[in-house]
Amino acid sequence: MHAGTAQQKLDLFSSFPPDRQDQLLENMGQGMRMELFAAAPPGLRRRIQCANGPQAMVAQDLTEAKLFRAVYSNRQLDEVLVDFWYNHFNVYLEKGADHYLVTAYERDAIRPHVLGKFEDLLRATAQSPAMLFYLDNWESAGSQSPAGQRRQRGLNENYGRELLELHTLGVDGGYTQKDVTEVARCFTGWTIRQPQRVAEFEFNPRMHDDGDKTVLGVRIPAGGGIGDGFQVLHLLAQHPSTAHFISRKLAMRFVADDPPETLVKRMAATFLKKDGDLRAVLKTMFDSPEFWSRRAYRSKIKSPLEMVASSLRVLNAQVDFTFGLNNQLTQLGEPLYRKAEPTGYSNSGQEWLNSAGLLARMNFSVALVNNKLPGVKVDSAHSAEGVTLGSPDFQKK
Amino acid sequence: MTTRRFFLRNSALAMVGAGTAPLWLQRVLYAADAPSPRKKILVAIFQRGAADGLNIVVPHAEKRYYEMRPTIAVPRPSQMPDRREDAAIDLDGFFGLHPALAPLKPIWDDGHLAIVHAAGSPDPTRSHFDAQDFMESATPGLKATADGWMNRALPHAEPAATVSPVRAVAMGPVLPRAMRGANPAVAVQNLSDFQVRNAEASGAFQALYADSQDPLLHAAGRETFEAVSLLQSVRKRPYEPAADANYPRGHLGDCLRQIAQLIKADVGVEMAFADVGGWDHHVNEVGARASEGQLAMRLADFGQALAAFWLDLGDLRHAAAVVTMSEFGRTARENGDRGTDHGHANCMFAMGGGVRGGKVYGEWPGLEPEQLYEARDLALTTDFRDVLGELVRGQLGIRDLSRVFPGYAPKPCGILRGSPGNGSHAEARAST
Repeated sequence: MHAGTAQQKLDLFSSFPPDRQDQLLENMGQGMRMELFAAAPPGLRRRIQCANGPQAMVAQDLTEAKLFRAVYSNRQLDEVLVDFWYNHFNVYLEKGADHYLVTAYERDAIRPHVLGKFEDLLRATAQSPAMLFYLDNWESAGSQSPAGQRRQRGLNENYGRELLELHTLGVDGGYTQKDVTEVARCFTGWTIRQPQRVAEFEFNPRMHDDGDKTVLGVRIPAGGGIGDGFQVLHLLAQHPSTAHFISRKLAMRFVADDPPETLVKRMAATFLKKDGDLRAVLKTMFDSPEFWSRRAYRSKIKSPLEMVASSLRVLNAQVDFTFGLNNQLTQLGEPLYRKAEPTGYSNSGQEWLNSAGLLARMNFSVALVNNKLPGVKVDSAHSAEGVTLGSPDFQKK
Repeated sequence: MTTRRFFLRNSALAMVGAGTAPLWLQRVLYAADAPSPRKKILVAIFQRGAADGLNIVVPHAEKRYYEMRPTIAVPRPSQMPDRREDAAIDLDGFFGLHPALAPLKPIWDDGHLAIVHAAGSPDPTRSHFDAQDFMESATPGLKATADGWMNRALPHAEPAATVSPVRAVAMGPVLPRAMRGANPAVAVQNLSDFQVRNAEASGAFQALYADSQDPLLHAAGRETFEAVSLLQSVRKRPYEPAADANYPRGHLGDCLRQIAQLIKADVGVEMAFADVGGWDHHVNEVGARASEGQLAMRLADFGQALAAFWLDLGDLRHAAAVVTMSEFGRTARENGDRGTDHGHANCMFAMGGGVRGGKVYGEWPGLEPEQLYEARDLALTTDFRDVLGELVRGQLGIRDLSRVFPGYAPKPCGILRGSPGNGSHAEARAST
């Protein structure tokens, strides 16, 4: 099977009986499998990917679903919001168990809540194995707790810090290092039951620091158990700094890199009045004169995902499978589910402007219209449109 | 900081339009302007996966080292007189290089290679991901730092248009964390492919971006096509490394060869970044002998790539400094699988014309049980920011290091000529 085109290899491969095929797939190297992949029908493609590794298959399906939804879904606001909130509560797929935990994370913790109450979203992320693993809270134990004493484990502040700084109040939201430590104490014992098998949220009282705590000036009396964490989440979800921080970030995504403060204030007021109702906050934004203003019109640079999705849609491209597109997104600087830092990708369009990124956009555009991307078909009548897709105008939204 | 070269370049390009300058003019502007003072260059190499510093720079005079690593230790230099390729290469009677790093020994002997042992990040994390993040942001423990130390270390230039579009170059598909931030920096995956692949489309794109009314896209387009056109002559000329510079096949060799190519082309590179993975050896770290196995293979590649780079630079060595780092070290004891697990302190290399080499820097913490970090890992005595800080100051001329390393005041180790130092391991050991 060494020489010949992918199609010839496929024909040779298909001439074997099915049980021999699986054996062949197992035994050939990944390089040769991917050569077959290029010409394989959908059913065989899945078998090839499974042979490459079941874990990688989970990640592959996840990114494929995201791209398909981005291009073809009729519920575009939903998809944009899922992207926004996943990114806000970012989890890095390549960190250990998160390789297979993020699928349920996005489906169960993020997606159901994007037009719901912020506090529900916050609680869902706080209790998700993916987040508990990503920010190490599952290992955090009170130093005086039975588990802390026995296993010489201690307090891990990662989640506590990011919860305040990135998920709710924002870095200037008016908290101290002492608050970070106290919040981390409240979340001790929020862990994962059997991370390698069941991977469910569990509160383990033997890891919990059951002493007195004070968070943002509010006393949390001793003995609260799992309730400590819920109390903190409630406190944070209702905090004016959170209302402002979240409103500004949404306005950055939908209106301008540096959104008008008047708009942010009105959105934050809605957030507080309506108990963190995200649908109401969005409505305030969509109904605002700032949203419809001339200044906001096409004022932002598309993210790589937006650039790729809009290119495929404007050409009415037929996407058969997405690993080629996913590679392109890596070249463009936005590998899906693979932002290592808890900050997520920037919502500022300017962040995407660099030489390598622009060149990658131009090269993507030309490759796309010339049908050079595996898994994507474009009508040859569009072959001159590459320059349009890579042009400055098309980079804006 | 405006050099004559870049002033000329920009005024000339303003006349003829970015990227449309004829090749002869570009050559005059970019390369042949000999009298301009060449800037110093800092090259950072990240060994991703936590390299095993104790088997890389071996404390061969420590009995405990051999007790804790009965099957994977690198033998003492004196131990195998007839098989020297399987023993540590002695450096100072206490430390020795892994035998696969033999290509680096001549550079050590010439006094251009320094080692800092027991160095690294003070953060206790043993997560690759967190530790790499902290090392690249250079703010251990602070995850929300948005930019990287290399970006913050780019010298301010006024006006910004007078600096080279390729002053900060990272080899790879995206900008690494260390180079991200407000200052322009270029990611180059492959120098020979740094272009719009379709020539016709390239011209059309260039015209569209030049005409764009959007100031950001206009500027980014200009920056891009300037970099492309600046690198065009470099890209098109087949590159011949110096005769004795044998770059190993593979990622790191490719990266360093292209960095040398850029430096020699004198296109205004001030800093460069490359990374190399494959150091996470939990199982079968060492083969049947020290010169075999996974670690030996990685080190052979690493040592050969660095040595080739050094030879390739020729008389430009005086301007360049290379620093290596890895997110943390590995356990002092070997585990049950002839490997090592995630540890704490590690070793760093610094190589350059201005480096005061031939010396292992840093205080040696010892390997006795009570001297180990959390009773298992090499303890940390030098913060990696001390090493980086000295190089940032010496190579890039940054006086105010607080902007590069917020919340930390780097203490120079003395690895650069002309900077104050804390002395070497020899002094610390003399008392034991």
